[in-house]
Amino acid sequence: MNIFQVAYKNLLRRKTRTLFTIAGIMLSTWVLVTLLGFNKGYEQSLNENIEGMGFQIVLTAKGCPYEAATLMLKGGTGLRYMPEALVRDVAGRAEVASATDMLMHAEFDPNKGESGGTIVYLGIDPQTYPEMKPYLQFNQGEWFGADSAAEIVLGYEAAELEQREAGDVMLLPGSDQEFKVTGVLKRTGTQDDGMIFLPLKSAQQIFRKEGLLTMLGLRLKQDADQNIFEEDLYTLPDVQVVSMAQVKNTILSLVASAKIIVLSIAFIAFLIAMFGVLNTVLMSVFERFQEIGILKSIGALPRDVFQMILIETTLLCALGSLAGIIFAYLFSGFSEMVVRYLLPFAPNGSLIIIGWPTIIFAFVSITLVGVIGGVYPSLRAASIRPLDSIRSAE
Amino acid sequence: MRKIFGFLILFLLIGFGLAAVGCDLNDPDRDILRIGTYYTSLSPRITYKTEYLSLTKLGGEKTLRAVEERLGDKFSGLYETIDVPYTLYTLYQGEKIIGYVHGINQKGKYGGLQVFLAYDTRGVIKHFYYQKLTSRKAAELRSAEFAGQFAGLSLQDFLSYAVQTGSGGSAGVQAIQNPSPEDAADFLATLRAVKKNLILMDIFVFNKEGKELP
Repeated sequence: MNIFQVAYKNLLRRKTRTLFTIAGIMLSTWVLVTLLGFNKGYEQSLNENIEGMGFQIVLTAKGCPYEAATLMLKGGTGLRYMPEALVRDVAGRAEVASATDMLMHAEFDPNKGESGGTIVYLGIDPQTYPEMKPYLQFNQGEWFGADSAAEIVLGYEAAELEQREAGDVMLLPGSDQEFKVTGVLKRTGTQDDGMIFLPLKSAQQIFRKEGLLTMLGLRLKQDADQNIFEEDLYTLPDVQVVSMAQVKNTILSLVASAKIIVLSIAFIAFLIAMFGVLNTVLMSVFERFQEIGILKSIGALPRDVFQMILIETTLLCALGSLAGIIFAYLFSGFSEMVVRYLLPFAPNGSLIIIGWPTIIFAFVSITLVGVIGGVYPSLRAASIRPLDSIRSAE
Repeated sequence: MRKIFGFLILFLLIGFGLAAVGCDLNDPDRDILRIGTYYTSLSPRITYKTEYLSLTKLGGEKTLRAVEERLGDKFSGLYETIDVPYTLYTLYQGEKIIGYVHGINQKGKYGGLQVFLAYDTRGVIKHFYYQKLTSRKAAELRSAEFAGQFAGLSLQDFLSYAVQTGSGGSAGVQAIQNPSPEDAADFLATLRAVKKNLILMDIFVFNKEGKELP
């Protein structure tokens, strides 16, 4: 029988203790894996949400609300416009890979709800806008046929509210003209879900905003320096530049403090695992004081005893961390539900992502930390003198 | 920096503006208070309890088939599905239930209609109104005269009403005047919504399956 088998049998001899120790390590690993998964998932979801907006830079007239939600909060007021000529100049610059013109418009609909409500429309260029937002897919139908057609495309929730399907007609408040629904988009989890899209030229004509735009969405060429380009845009009069990278960095710096708390808790999980193992193995060594003494009296070297105890510790930690990883993986959906319930604001997408790097890191680190915790008890066991241990029984 | 924070708040708001579309009262506290005026006594103050129901929870496909059979029409389209959530408001005066409010979404000619009915405890309509309506004849359809024609009717009156042809029904149903005879689409959609609302309420609350009211 080799040392590994002896260590394994030792663990089986004390099943309850072994089970509780494994359970303790498992819980620590579970917490660690979930927190690391959350750390990764939150950041990734945030990135995806911002990337999902489709533009690297948005140019708007100074003070203009450029998001549907702002417009709704402001009751559809406060829109400002940029002349198309200015936008043409920016869109034509060498650094720009693609650009898309947009006209946002809010209209009061007296028939929306009992006391009316604001509806937000987005006039878009059917040639360039879909390219900038490749994630927009159709549940039914397709984009408009021409950029001045009396046609509309509805975000999923706008269509659900209006009970519209491709081929139906709609009336736009403030206009007596019928618009044909050419498409209904799939749910995206972004503001596009609630948007009513219409061709830019039609929007400019209906809302009497010929030659004007509210936004220009820009994507730069890969070799373009975004910072220099933005600096240049800041010199333009009466224009505000919104950089998505800047927005993302601001959000990430805001959540950085939350990340520190998360990592602190993960560190505590490490400590719990280490001291739990140290305590359990030390107790086990004290309990087997005489047994270890007898082992040594029949020829076991201090090195053999040290190895035996360390192997026991390693087995405990490896099994516990493996169980913890499995639990963290199986219950990640539940953990995500709890996190979403507790967090006032969470981005769309998967909040807890448990990938191989997280799994390997958790397994190796928890096992390593447990083994470090097992070194002292192993040394104590190795240093037991056979005579002292046999006398202690008297 | 300010615009970035503004954007951040909006970005977070966007994620939360994505509620599943059932048919809820826009402002239940205000709306129930107003609907309460259609009940004879307003004292003590009317309170309400909100419940969320769906055909999926109440028998699934079998219940859906039963509703369609009584409606005389299939549930159709992207949005009229078995898993649509229905919101039921039960009205109380003190401990006593005095009625119910229930609304449904219905496809209209130019947009979605949200048709709400307030019931007494026997399933008789006390008040009809559109919470949302897009129509060229919106003003006429929203008029008190049009709404008043539904008061006093119940499922019994609509059982023989054929939603696809717009014919049949009791004398009370046949007497309902279309305020825009030149365009009957939204009027017919409204009657379908009322019949569907009555059938669903029968399943959710009254469970009379078309028997005579007491």
